[in-house]
Order: sequence, then structure tokens, then C-alpha cells
Amino acid sequence: MLAILKHRPSSRLWFSLLGIGMIVGAIGVVNVLLKGHGHVYNVSREIPWGILISTYVFLVVSSTGLCLISSLGHVFGIEKFEFFGKRAILLAILTLLCGFGTIAMELNHPLRMALYAVISPNFTSAIWWMGTLYGLYLVLLCGEFYFLMKGMHKGAFTMGMLGFIAAVSAHSNLGAVFGLLEARPYWYGPFLPLYFILSALVSGGAIISLLVYFHHKESGELMPQRYGEFMDTLGRLQALFLMILIFFVIWKIIPGLYGRPPEKYEATMAVLFGPLAFNFWFFEVLIGMLIPVTLLLNRRTRTPLGVMYAGLLSTFGIFFMRYDLVVAGQLVSMREGAADLVGGLLHYAPSLTEVAIVVGAISLCLFLYTLAEHLLPLREEEH
Amino acid sequence: MKNKRLAIVLDTRRCIDCKACTVACKAENRVPLGRNNYRNWVDEEALRGAYPNLGQSFTPSQCQHCANPPCAHVCPTHATEVNPDGIVHVVDKKCIGCKYCQTACPYNARYYNEEIGAVDKCTFCAHRVYEGRLPACVETCPTKVRVFGDINDPNSEVSRLLAKYPSRVLKPAQGTKPHLFYLI
Amino acid sequence: MARLIEKKLSRRRFLGLSTCALAGVAVGSQVKVLRALAKTGEIGEVTTLPGKDVFTSCGMCVNKCGVIARVRDGVIHKLDPNPHFAAKSRAMLCARGNAGVKVVYDPDRLKYPLIRVGARGEGQWRRASWEEALDEVAKQMNAVAEKYTRAGVMFASTEGTFQEHFFMQLAECFGSPNTVRHPTLCLSSNIQGFGATFGTNPTPDVLGADYIIMSGANRSEALITPDSIDMLKGDGGHRKLVYLDPRFTKTAAKADEWYPIRPGTDMAFILAMIHVIVKEELYAKNFVETMTVGFDRLVPHIEPYTPEWAAAECDIPAADIRRIAREFAAAAPKAVYYQGRRSSFFANDTQMRRAMAILNAVVGNWDVEGGMLPNRSIALNKHDYLAPWYDDVPGRLDEGAVTYLSEKDGSWPIFRDRVLAGKPYPVKGMLAYKQNVLASVPNRAKSLKMMEQMDFICTIDITMSDTAWYSDVVLPEATYLERLDPPEVLGGIVPVVAFRQPAIEPMFESKPCLWIMQELAKRLGEEIAETFDFTMEEHIEHMVQANPKILEDLRTKGVYLEAEQPVYGATYGQPLKTKSGKVEIYSEKYAENGLDPLPVYTPPEAVPAGKYRLLVGRHAYFTHGTTANNPYLHDIMPENTLWLNPREADRLGLTNGRLVRVRSAVGEETLKLEVTEKIRPDSVYLAHGFGVLSKGLTNVYGKGGCDAALIEEKTCPISGNVAMHETFVEVFPA
Repeated sequence: MLAILKHRPSSRLWFSLLGIGMIVGAIGVVNVLLKGHGHVYNVSREIPWGILISTYVFLVVSSTGLCLISSLGHVFGIEKFEFFGKRAILLAILTLLCGFGTIAMELNHPLRMALYAVISPNFTSAIWWMGTLYGLYLVLLCGEFYFLMKGMHKGAFTMGMLGFIAAVSAHSNLGAVFGLLEARPYWYGPFLPLYFILSALVSGGAIISLLVYFHHKESGELMPQRYGEFMDTLGRLQALFLMILIFFVIWKIIPGLYGRPPEKYEATMAVLFGPLAFNFWFFEVLIGMLIPVTLLLNRRTRTPLGVMYAGLLSTFGIFFMRYDLVVAGQLVSMREGAADLVGGLLHYAPSLTEVAIVVGAISLCLFLYTLAEHLLPLREEEH
Repeated sequence: MKNKRLAIVLDTRRCIDCKACTVACKAENRVPLGRNNYRNWVDEEALRGAYPNLGQSFTPSQCQHCANPPCAHVCPTHATEVNPDGIVHVVDKKCIGCKYCQTACPYNARYYNEEIGAVDKCTFCAHRVYEGRLPACVETCPTKVRVFGDINDPNSEVSRLLAKYPSRVLKPAQGTKPHLFYLI
Repeated sequence: MARLIEKKLSRRRFLGLSTCALAGVAVGSQVKVLRALAKTGEIGEVTTLPGKDVFTSCGMCVNKCGVIARVRDGVIHKLDPNPHFAAKSRAMLCARGNAGVKVVYDPDRLKYPLIRVGARGEGQWRRASWEEALDEVAKQMNAVAEKYTRAGVMFASTEGTFQEHFFMQLAECFGSPNTVRHPTLCLSSNIQGFGATFGTNPTPDVLGADYIIMSGANRSEALITPDSIDMLKGDGGHRKLVYLDPRFTKTAAKADEWYPIRPGTDMAFILAMIHVIVKEELYAKNFVETMTVGFDRLVPHIEPYTPEWAAAECDIPAADIRRIAREFAAAAPKAVYYQGRRSSFFANDTQMRRAMAILNAVVGNWDVEGGMLPNRSIALNKHDYLAPWYDDVPGRLDEGAVTYLSEKDGSWPIFRDRVLAGKPYPVKGMLAYKQNVLASVPNRAKSLKMMEQMDFICTIDITMSDTAWYSDVVLPEATYLERLDPPEVLGGIVPVVAFRQPAIEPMFESKPCLWIMQELAKRLGEEIAETFDFTMEEHIEHMVQANPKILEDLRTKGVYLEAEQPVYGATYGQPLKTKSGKVEIYSEKYAENGLDPLPVYTPPEAVPAGKYRLLVGRHAYFTHGTTANNPYLHDIMPENTLWLNPREADRLGLTNGRLVRVRSAVGEETLKLEVTEKIRPDSVYLAHGFGVLSKGLTNVYGKGGCDAALIEEKTCPISGNVAMHETFVEVFPA
């Protein structure tokens, strides 16, 4: 640890930041354990899912995205995409684990889940499938990582292939967790499973641009050419993903407005002009999509630095995209006069403890990754 | 109880929104204190018209004990069970607290009970019903809005009311087949 | 926890009980409160007792509905309605009745006698033994008596407990004429107005009526059994309900027609109805001829009161008044103008009640099905005692203040004014039993001043009410679920006898009223003590001596009644309890006293520009100022709001939910604004029971505003009743 800190002065700052983040998270966790969920979370009877669920979604989407993009390399054989495989899979494992950690903090009885999901499984429950598929996915990711580290390409390919299938199943099923709820018109339908896969690609692409930029910049002497070329290709690909995402976002909105479908319309309006409007227009649209697309489409800004910035902004925007999606689906009251409505809608804002746990989870994820980066031989040898 | 289908018929014309049902239920079922904690409720519907021509309805409600309960479908651990007589209830020890059932229930009938550590909801006071007593809300209701009984029995008061008057259920389009019937 | 279960089990074995009878009982939140209290040493360990069902009587409001207390493990688990009590309560229990369990297991309960150590109202107390507290109260009472005569100690109490008469007995035996009770904050003008007409205050037969007009009686929220239930339509319902109220209440929501009448103009509406009915000869001619006096004087009297004239007064179209009058007369005698049971709103309330009574009389609905029925009762032996005689005691402080003053009840606002003036003599000691003076009597600032000038104040209650908070000694009474109370007759159309048996032993050091009175009596002198020389059991035995079945039924069914159904027409052929023995449309008695013998309309004072009329009212969750702090009820209504019509809110630039200041000539309160169409634009309303001063009411302290702090106490000169709607307020942003 000390050795790492001595490594570079910027590391010290990085680790201190993450340290603070993790301490904040730990305080949040202790707070929950001492006082109980009901007292420290702002989720309610009407809005039972809050920022912890949306952060969980964000983290597992990131994991899936990393897996999918990296599979372009060692599963689909696109050589350009091979060199960051270990890092991507490692980060996929860590984001998944931290996602699990976040949802465990939201679940009141994660241990009961471990027991009763096995002895009393309900196969019609998307959450049961979510647990099972992500569990399987985690095992496969670990296997893939092991083979990659050992340089066993065949094994890595097999695991990667299976991991890819698991990722797609698990992740589209995560969309179905929301999409199967007929009671929630904003979520209901086959849209979300499809959208989740697509947005995973955007997430994955964005995070990989960060990974590659920050870990291969100095090792430029190893692959100056490949590095620049890769970032250019990734940038173009990411532009395509983002444009498809924009298309998805537009087609999420139009049916929400057209003919004013009950409840769906109110939720859509909450996103466009209501309590989530700032999140939507500023974070999702501007930061998450428009600026990155502009950076990526312009040849002059599609430099490694530009692609990195686009990725950073997209990742940020996507975090809010998850939050808005989870919250918007619950803002419309199931009952007239059920609670104190603000402007006809229910109200949710995360509590400090919820935010602390989110900060902690993301810090922990980055910390573990940075630590691994220093401790494990992740650098790719030339084939 | 076999060969029975328990249901509640509500005559909301008689409801004065006095909340006796809510307090009776809280006391009977040890529902924790707190405004968000309740198994049944009375909704004040939006005021109709404008001053001085106003109208307002009150809709008492609770778990609908659906024949096609989405809460039971989504529960990952089968913590939500359905009895042969139609009573939908939660097995506390199996509840993992994922609150999926809360998001799945179109009636907002469920809440997380911190004291028992599980999602909680109306059970038609099964513990009373199986002793031959009425659910607490039905028994206490000052204006006798709620009538409880077996709709499989054509001679029961609920069957008689349903035969005599048109009725509706809440959110029929959800396909949940609720068993709270509101007389029109 | 494990230890507790172990203890429970061994206790069960010790008692030789089958465990399965108790096995199903889960440990709930009430037990939690007990445990928490046990932990802090405030009560002993929770013990296990056999389960039992106890028939008793609700003590949450004035209706005293039949209750079955389900006692499990020595803890009251649930209060269920008593099905045998259907004749009076229709076998129901309202929200308050159900919340009764939390009265017993309320952490805010008074647990021990307390003696003030800081300044009054500062909330500094020390725990005292009963011995010390009672000695102190007796010493102070005697000190005041010595200095200012025995009339210098006032006794404030209220209806609702079955033991109030012991408190009244102590007052009488101590020698003070100054007992001040709730009726002048309640229905004394109503009793006076109907009494002057019918010789009694009859009860409307709501269930039998085809047509009911309610003005100001909000029966969906101010619950009165069985009227609140009977007025509703349901399966096969055909009854018509016309409702007049400046607010759209829950009764308005149930009514066939609602008219937001201009406050204070009910009499105009009634007189116009009489005008139509008399002019169009729709009245019950035979009844009027044989059973009433003064109809001939009524005919010219109502001449000017046309519907057109009333329309301008009431804001109700003349055509509607005319139509309602015709419908009412057509439905008669199964038609009642429901007089309600509430405090008076205007100083002319007695005359307004007279108008109501006359309208009922002229349609001939007296003592018939669906009409106005005289109350019936069930005879119980009276408890007689010989009060000591004191020579030097003056008459009531408020004597002669109004035409008809009740010797027992007095007139609150006038009494208070005279205490403050110290004339005709000083009153320097105060005992309050269950009456929360500071929350109930309008103009709280004045009540505080009255209390400030007292040398000594003692309050007996179950929670730290505002009045208790400003007292010197506070004595904890056992709650209604912990007491054995004497049987009480609930008179009415179908009279019943109600009764309280203890569901559990009194918790902490709380004691029943009788015990407290007996202990005080002992300390006040032998003569006084002698009048209390009986046990509760003996007292009860004596009351039912003539008919032991009463007690047997009370013990086994929780109720005693002689008939299940109303009896109609029993007064026909008998003289009524009026001077003439008939229904007095024209009141000779009033004429003799210089009062209007027929009700004369005077319009209410107009609302000054920029101000609003302050309205009071009820809702179904609180009983006056006593239940707002109950944890269950607090969940339903955590604070009150000021209702304001949207038109006015727009004009003032005030938005829904913001804090506003409400200012009257006597006080100012701050609370949240509720912008709602449910109220006339010239009025505002706030619910009773909030804005408390006592920090001992932890749930409700700091929430909402207090109406008693705002209302100016105008008084009815005939009955001494306070007028609640004669206050104008301004509303400002806070």
C-alpha cells in the first residue's frame, strides 16, 4: 500500500479522495445498521425504490457494458479490442460486486434471499432470475478473468462466450424486472429489456475509453500507434451507440406523450418538464448524449483526450439516466389522495445516508480497481 | 378454508371517511405507528366541481386479494402466498425486503413493516376470520360500509349485494381480478 | 428477550394454563412500550396473565359506546365494538374508540403525582408521593378557603367520565358553589331554546325520518351515535338530507343538497321556511290547534320573513328555500329540522334554537316516528349524601349574569371575567378534573390570566394537558380502561345503561377519581369524609338495588336496556313540561323575562373588509382538545391547517401549504395554509386541538395553531353560552 502511495503524488490524492468516499459510505452503512432502513432512507411506501436501486442498475449496466465491449476482442476476435480485456473484465467484476453491495444495502434481508431463493424459488419472478443470472454471470466473469490472467486464450474464449450470453440474458432480464410491471405504465412493456442492452453498450464504451486513456497513456511507448487508432475507432463506435441511444430516448418519450396514455403520460411529463426535468435535460441529454456525440463526431475533437472526455460525460449522464428511469416510474400515485402530493405527483429525494452509500460504493469500486491495477499484472503483452 | 372465496363488498355511499377502519386495523394487526404504515385506508377523491357546487367521494380500500395477484408473481422467494379461500398473505420469514411486490401492486396495498422485518399488508384478518369472527375493519366500521363474506355461497350477504346491485372493481384493466367489490 | 419468554412460560405453568390458548399472541408494539418503560424502571416487569374479554364502555368522547376490551397477556390488545350495544352505538367503534388502547399505553401518560418546582408553565416538576401531593392540595384548598371563603375555590370539570359526580360532590361538600362545567361551551343554548318550546330538548328520530335538514351539525365528523350512522343512506335508502354549513364538510359530501349558508343567518332560513309553511297552509293544523300555544301570534310575526328576504341574508336562492320548505312539510311528520349538539356560534343562539323548535312544532313532528322524540331514561337509585352546611359562603360568582344560568354549570366566559375582576369576590383556588380549560374556553390569553391570579391550581387528568401544564399539582387519574365506574344511563330515544369494568389494573400510580376524592375528603375534614364513606362496589350495588338484573346484564353483556325499539306518542294526552303544558310557540316565560317571546331576526355583524370570519368545527378523529396527542390519531391528522378559499388566497398572494399568521383581536397563531374550495370566501377555519402549550404532549406540541387562542368570547345573554363564530381575523404570510 505504502509502495503504491509512493508511486506517484497524484495517486496520493486519488487514494485520499477514494478513502474519504469509502469512509462516507461506511458511515452510511453503519447508520443503516444501527437505525434501520425506514429511519435513514427516504424511500417510502409509494416510492419503494430509490437511488440505491438506480445506482445498482448503473453499476451492473456498467459491468455488462464492459463485458460486451471487451467481448468484441477475445470473443468476436476484433483484435483492436483485445488489449484491454483483463482490465475490462476485472472492472466488470468489481462494478458487479459493488452493484450487489448497493442492492444488499437496499434489501432488508439479503441473507434471507440467499436461503429462500434456493429453497423456495419463484420462477415467475424477474428478481429471482436477476439474482440467478447475475450470479452465473459473475462466476463466468471470474472464470474469464482467471483464464485471461493465465493467458489461456481458449478457456478465455469459452468463458467469454458464455459470459456474453449470460450478460445479455441477465441484463435484458434486469430490464424485465421493470418491464414486466403492468402496474407501472412508464416501465411496462418490452422496451426496457432492449433499451438496457443498448445502454449497456454505451456505458461499456464510455468506461473503456476512460480505462484505456488512463492506463495506456503513459505506456504510449508500447503501442503509440494502436492506442491512437483504437481511441479513434472506439470514438466512432461510441458515437454510433450514442446516436442509437438518442433514438431510443426519443422513442421512449413519444409513446409517453402521444394520446396521453394514463400514468405513462404523467411520468413522461415529470421527466420532461416536472421534478426530473433538470436531471433529464442537463445531465441526460446535454452531458450524457449531446456533448459526447458532438465531441465524437467531430474529427478534430475525436482525439484520445476528446474520446475520454466524451466517455466521462456519458458515464456521468448515464448515472442520472438510471436514477430518472427508476424514480419516474414511481412518481405517479397508484391512488388518488394516497399521500401528500406535490403538483399531482409523489415526491422522492435521496437521503444523506442513501447518497453516502452510493458515494461509498463507487469509491470502493474505484479503489479496488486502482489497487488491483497496482498489484496485478494487467498490462497486456504483445501477441 | 376450502371451497370458499372470501371477498369484501363496499357500499361507499355510506363512507364518511372517519378512519375507524384504519385505526382498528392498526390496533388489531399491530401495524407500526407512522403515517406511511397502514394496511387499509380511506382515500379522499378529488373534489368535484367548483364552489358552491361541490361533490366528493371517499374510497376505503385495502389489499384486493386478487385472484391473479401480481405481488405473488413477482416475489422471488414465494413469500407472498395465496390461500385456497383467496386470502393473499406474506410469510414474514421468507421476505427479503426487495419491495418488488410494492412496485408490482397497482393498489399500493403494501408497505414495509420495520417492526416485523417484512412487507406487510391486509390479510382480511385471517386470524380472526378462521376463528369465525369478522375482519377488524368490517366489524368496527361505524356506517357499515364493508360487508365481508364468501362469494361462493349464494346465500351470503356479499353474494346477495352483488346480485342486487351493479358493482365495480378497482383498475380492472390490470387483469388482477380483485376481490374488493364496490357497489355502484 | 429469551429471559422474558422463559419467564412467561414459567408463569404460565405456575398459573396452570394451557399454553395453546395464548400461543398465538404475538408480541406487539404496545408490549414494546411497556418493555421500554420497564427498562427505565418506570413500571415493573411485564407479567403474564390469562386472556379475557371485558365488557366496558368507551371513554374517548361523549357517546360512551359499548366496548369489548380484548385482554391478552395482561395487555389490552384490542378494543372491539360491543354487538349488544347496537341500540345506541349501532355496534360500532370509531377511530377514537379504536385508539383507546393507546390512551393506556401512551408514553405521554401522567404516571405519578407531580408538584411544580419552577415557575408556572415552565414545565419543571418533581415526582411526589400521593400522600404528599394530597396533603398539599388539601392544605392549599383550606388556605384559600380561610382567606377568601370556601367559594374562593372553583371546581372545573366536564362530562364524559362516569365519575364526575364524585368531583361535584367534593365541591359541594367542601362548600364551594363555584362549579364550572362544559355546557356553556357546548349546548346550553340549545337546551334552553328547545326546552322553552317543548319543555325538553328532544332527540330527532333520524332513522325514521324521510327528510332531514341539518344546519351546523356536522354529523359525519362530529360523531353522535346513532345519528351519524342513521342519517346515511345505503341499501334501500330513500332519506333526503339537506345540509347548511359555510364549509363543505364530510356531511356535505353525503348530503343530497349542500348550501354554504352565510354564517349567523340560520334563523333567517328557518323563519322563511316557517313563512312558506304557514302562508301556504302546509302546517299540521290539527297538531298546532290541539298541542301548541301562540300560533296566532306567529302568523303576523313571520309576515316579513319571506324567502326573498332570507335569500339576501343567507346566500341561498329564494326558490330553493321555498322548495325545501314545501318538501319538508310534505315529508312531515317524518321530517326533522335537526338541531344538532354543538356549541353555539352566535350570541343569539337561544332564539335561533327557538326558531328551529317552532319549525319542528308547526309541521307536527312531535313524538311520532321520524320526528322529534322526547328523551327517555332508565331509573337508577340516586346516591344521596348530606353535604355539610357552611354559613359564610356567598352564592355563585356568576350569579344573575344571564337569564337562565345553570346552578351546576355556570357560564364559563362570564365566570372567568368575574374571577379576573375579583368581583363580587375573589376566586383564588382552582381544581380541574379532566376539563382542559386552556384549550376549550375561547380567548386563551384571558384563561391564562385567570390562572395566573390563582394562588393554587390542581389538575386531575390522564395526560399533561395545557391546563395541567399550568398547574401547581398534577394528579394522575386511572384511564377509563383501568377503572370500575358506576353505571350510567344514556338517555335518548332508546335509553341504555352503560358501565365500565376495569380491563387491567391501573398502571403506574394512577388512581380512580373516587379514590382521589375520598383521600382529599379525609384531609379536608371528617364531615366531608363521611359523605364519601363507601366503596365503589357499594355505590354500584346501591344504584341498582331496585333491579339487580341491571348489574347482571352490564357484567355479562356490557349494556342494560328495557326496550330495543323507540316508543312513539307516549307524551300525547300528557301535559308537557312547559308552563302551559303545551308546545310553546309563543313563550310567555320569555315575555315575562323581557326576552323576545317569538324569535326576532337580527343579522350577524358583517365581515369587515380585509378580514375573515373565523369558523370552528369538528372532525372525526379528535374529541375537542383531548385526543390530538393520541399516537394513532396523530398519525391520521398530525397538524391542523387554516382553510381559505382559493379566490381569497389568490387575492392575498398566498399559496397552499405555506405558513400564515392568523390574527384576531385577542391572539395570533401561525399555521399552514390549506387553499380549498371547501369554504366560503368570507370565512376561514382551523381544526381544534393543536397549537398546544404543554410540552408534555410530545406528538402534538409545536404543531399547528390553537383556535381557542383566537376566538373572542361573546356570550348568549339568555343561556350564558359562548358564541364561537363572532371573531374576525386577518391572515398574513408568516
